Amino acid sequence: MRELAFVNAIREAIQQEMRRDEKVFVVGQDVRGGVYPHTLNLVDEFGPERIVDTPISESAMHGTAFGSALLGYRPIVDFMFASTAMTVFTETAVMTGQQYFLHGSKRPAPLVMTGAWGIGKRTANDHAMPIHGYYSRAPGLRVVIPSTPYDAKGIFTAAIRDDSPVMIPWCTGVMMLKGPVPEESYELPLDKASIKREGSDVTVLANSEQLQFALKVADKLSGEISMEVIDPISFSPIDMETILNSLEKTNRLVIVDEDWEMGGFAATVAARVVDEAFDLLDAPVKRVCFPNMPIPGGFMEDYLRPNPEKIERAVRDVCA
Amino acid sequence: MDLDISDTRRLFTNLIRADKFGKMMYSRMMQGKLIGFYHPAEGAIAPGVAAGSFLTDDDILFPHHRGHGITHMLSKGIDVKPYIAEHAGKSTGCCAGRAAWHYAFPEHNVFGTTAYIGHNFVPCTGFGWAAKRNGRGQVVMNCFGDGAMGTGRSHEGLLLSSNWQLPIIHFCENNGLSIFAEVEEMHPTEHLSTVAQGLNIPHVIVEDGQDVFAIAEAVIPAIERARSGGGPTFIEAKCLRFKEHDIGNRDLRGWTPREESEYAAMLERDPVKVATKRVLDESLLSQSEIDQIHEQAEREVDEAVRFADESPVESPLEAELLADVYPPKKTGVV
Repeated sequence: MRELAFVNAIREAIQQEMRRDEKVFVVGQDVRGGVYPHTLNLVDEFGPERIVDTPISESAMHGTAFGSALLGYRPIVDFMFASTAMTVFTETAVMTGQQYFLHGSKRPAPLVMTGAWGIGKRTANDHAMPIHGYYSRAPGLRVVIPSTPYDAKGIFTAAIRDDSPVMIPWCTGVMMLKGPVPEESYELPLDKASIKREGSDVTVLANSEQLQFALKVADKLSGEISMEVIDPISFSPIDMETILNSLEKTNRLVIVDEDWEMGGFAATVAARVVDEAFDLLDAPVKRVCFPNMPIPGGFMEDYLRPNPEKIERAVRDVCA
Repeated sequence: MDLDISDTRRLFTNLIRADKFGKMMYSRMMQGKLIGFYHPAEGAIAPGVAAGSFLTDDDILFPHHRGHGITHMLSKGIDVKPYIAEHAGKSTGCCAGRAAWHYAFPEHNVFGTTAYIGHNFVPCTGFGWAAKRNGRGQVVMNCFGDGAMGTGRSHEGLLLSSNWQLPIIHFCENNGLSIFAEVEEMHPTEHLSTVAQGLNIPHVIVEDGQDVFAIAEAVIPAIERARSGGGPTFIEAKCLRFKEHDIGNRDLRGWTPREESEYAAMLERDPVKVATKRVLDESLLSQSEIDQIHEQAEREVDEAVRFADESPVESPLEAELLADVYPPKKTGVV
């Protein structure tokens, strides 16, 4: 099958959906010029009326998407860097997430919010920080992170078609990762985890660049420890069914996430596993996350963030 | 007055209706029959009546929060019974009893409300964007108070509406007070519309925002301009707030109580009194017509109260409510 880079898989999803449905449009800052390649040259095909640049006005930029979504459009609002969305957290998380339910579950706001994050690129906190932990606590939003080119296209396509507001923070660590991507349109479920490698000794949850690290560790340890590697994909809601089914087999769990250790996905899954499946566990649940400190911009992030060595250590700990 | 007789009658009728609904809500709050807060509109209903009375059902309205928008909505032609029920937490409410006072009426193009001041500028930007592209001549009536002009959201919303020439009427109900804070202290210019002027948005200042007819004379051309592709207008109506910010709160200027003399002077500028004097002085309506309008409005209010009181409070199961958090998956997408 033809191979595409992750970021170009996103681009193809947006392009095909914009061709399919004239209500789909992109709004952001310098999306016409394509600061990130997923909107590069789309303005040539769709024009500035559908690839819409705004001033640096995140509130009104998001409002363009939110308000028009309430009137039946299907916008993609691109925050460039994921943490920029947090300059308008009230708008993106609270207003957007809650309005459907609070207003009687009558009028959906079908918009996609997206932006890039990723630790390890020497970009420092503001350009690097993961936001899925913050947004997954906002009721009414779907928070989804694809980690392979194939998933990126299917997830973006499904998110654009879904009536929920969907937040997709994608990781720069996999931006140029290449992989097979079908040319035709397809959807992947927004609320299902994906088993990336089957195994029997330990379940490892990992997303984005950490998924690549986990798969490398699984290769390295094969013959010694059999790792089942699962990409959670959906951070809100969390697909506990896939995780618990895997634990039935492995009885051991390591959760890898570049997000801070405190109160995020890893903490929630650990708590739920203890609550719902304590008897399945043969070892403590291990979390491999970023320590609770600002993300430094220099070389220190290399040993602060999760990496293959830390993943291997955690896997060996729970299998000891 | 350039308004024709049907405009005059409509404005006067909506003003009386708004006044009676507002007073009913105030008394129901005092009786403990409303849930949440209530921010009375008393004294400041003329702007909302003028803002709403010339909108079609297809136009998009973002009401001012004072009086929780009843004034604006009933003037737009919306049956507000489900809102009165909503404010009592009833299942017949416009949001199934889930919103209380940050409500929506999606069926009548009222939606996106939250409690954050200045938040109106957020969805209104998108409403304007969509309205311009829909090509149906829709306009967006974006209502807010002087307090909202302190937010960055207001600057951003005004900026984009000007850049893109969106069909939005930015309608500032400047009552001079945000909770206790005086606009003279919180804002450096005499008029808030100076901000719009700086962004190249045509603006109109209505010095007497107690006079519903004077405001309507500013609103009608602004709506016509927006509808015909002429872009946004900023209207600033200077009005009065007769009551405290929200029921149960103190009524201060800065940090000291408002003077008794201020209340007495304000009551002379009651919008109902001002409008009644004008229609009688200029023989636009007869006393018996006015009496009829009052009686009919009282019946409407009684009916809404009965509807709210007789509606049940429902307690859906947690699982049923959880199933309503996300919209159902669309089927049949090719």
